[in-house]
Amino acid sequence: MEQQFIDSEILKPQTPIIEFRGVSKTYPGGTHALEDVNIKINKGEFVFVVGSSGAGKSTFMKLIMREEKANTGIIRVNGFNLTEMKRKYVPMLRRTMGIVFQDFRLIPTMNVFQNVAFAMYVVGATGRDVRREVSKALSKVGLGNKARSMPNQLSGGEQQRVGLARALVNSPDLIIADEPTGNVDPNMSYEIVNMLTEINKQGTTVLMVTHDHNLVRDFHHRVIMLDGGKIVADNAGGDL
Amino acid sequence: MKLGSFKYLAGEGVKSAWVNRLMTLASIGVLVACMVIIGLAILVSENVNKAIGNLEQQNVVMAYMKDYNWALYGEDSGNSASSQTADSDSSQQETASVEENVASDETASDETAESTEEADENGIRPGDYVIHNEQEARALCDEIAKLPNVAEVTYVSSEEGLESVKESMLEGQEEYFTFLDEEYGNPMSCAAKIRMEDMSLFDETIKEIEKFDGIDAIQSQDDLAETINAIKNGIGVAGVWIIAILMIISLVIVSNTIRVTMYNRKLDISIMKAVGATDAFVRIPFVVEGVIIGLISAVIAEGILYFCYRVATETIISTLQTTDVVRYSEMALLLFLVFVGIGIFAGVLGSVIMISKYLRREGSEFAAI
Repeated sequence: MEQQFIDSEILKPQTPIIEFRGVSKTYPGGTHALEDVNIKINKGEFVFVVGSSGAGKSTFMKLIMREEKANTGIIRVNGFNLTEMKRKYVPMLRRTMGIVFQDFRLIPTMNVFQNVAFAMYVVGATGRDVRREVSKALSKVGLGNKARSMPNQLSGGEQQRVGLARALVNSPDLIIADEPTGNVDPNMSYEIVNMLTEINKQGTTVLMVTHDHNLVRDFHHRVIMLDGGKIVADNAGGDL
Repeated sequence: MKLGSFKYLAGEGVKSAWVNRLMTLASIGVLVACMVIIGLAILVSENVNKAIGNLEQQNVVMAYMKDYNWALYGEDSGNSASSQTADSDSSQQETASVEENVASDETASDETAESTEEADENGIRPGDYVIHNEQEARALCDEIAKLPNVAEVTYVSSEEGLESVKESMLEGQEEYFTFLDEEYGNPMSCAAKIRMEDMSLFDETIKEIEKFDGIDAIQSQDDLAETINAIKNGIGVAGVWIIAILMIISLVIVSNTIRVTMYNRKLDISIMKAVGATDAFVRIPFVVEGVIIGLISAVIAEGILYFCYRVATETIISTLQTTDVVRYSEMALLLFLVFVGIGIFAGVLGSVIMISKYLRREGSEFAAI
């Protein structure tokens, strides 16, 4: 990887793992998704991103993953300067993060073990490493005994835990969870956020988009509120 | 990429071909049809080339030499059968004109020497002609044989030439030559019977042969040479077009199958991209699937073509009573390599084109599948 895309300043302790400076994003149809967003998220933080539909949450996540490019401003994530970075380096960026989807995104023809192992095969891991790390990740989310189950044999909460194990298996620095509790019952929602909190305590930065105000209220983490493409509130204590 | 990863991806490609087996079968069917047509085009072209090769073997050129008979009867020499009875003055003039036709590299002194030589009973002197005996004629044949496009040169004596002419004459015409022979002697000059390697270089080779001093005239079948060349060129052009069109069809067919597979695997692709798979990694299973389709098609096409060609050649051999056809065994390896080449080309390119087009469209990782 070329060093020009690594920001040496950002790798120092207490420096942001995610940084937006004057970031705006307008889609080709003319929709202003984000306008002049400035934000810093430090390594080890747990951040909720909240906002109504169309507030710009998805665009915010897509910019972090470099699924979209900003029209203006500078974005730095995990030491990568996303403004300058060429498309061929996107896979390297994404290997530093784990993603949890609202709709789980499990491959229905693969069992639980294979679904988690898939994320390791993709980054070139093989054999023993895969078996060891997948077992470890499944144990972390409490599914050590469901390795051979197929996704359709699992509840919504269990499927999301498989998704969480898949996000964790490559030991990322950053977990991005896009409404991970959107398709699970309230009890399971708390369990999932508890798991994310445990993961966060071990040093992994967690960025979670949610609509669930109860979760935001009950888990005292930093909250970033978006509205009309702008950050309207940012509270490190969790009280908005 | 590690070997383990490649094995995993290759396995995914095989699995994908099996999961989409109906589409895979349809693609194999069309690819096999294309390959069989390409194979037939190659076999037909080979058979036509073989037939043309036989024609080329028969298409010989006769180069007649400036020998004694040429000096005696040849139009260029100025002598004719009747000139034997001409007075000495006219004979002198004719001899002078013969001298103009003899080898140009002779020196002026030689010419002077020859002009003093005595004429025989027919008024011909050794300096009036270039080829004086069989040894010189054979030496000239050897010189002609050294030309680049000359495959074979055979010396034909004037006696053999006369026999050959008589054989080729219609009934009645033959008697004229017999009469000439008996009355005035054999009118034929000795000749070089020449066979060329490449008929497309016909004109150039003829010009080279004409440059030899000992050569008087060349008799050839220019129209046959032209026809052979036209047929050869026509087959070549038609073959290239057929192969090009069918290659494009093969490519489109494989691309289409890969596109269906790709949309079936949208979920896998989005997850792969989200967790950091490179484009090359995402492509491999599709390329493997394309290559599998190509290789299976190649094997089936080879089998079908073998069967069809065998039936066709057996029918031709028994009907036309000829064994002059290309054997499948002579072409089997070449055809298989061509089919495998087409299969791999269509499989790799078809899948790479499709998946690259899909991967260039960013923004599918978070979007609803």
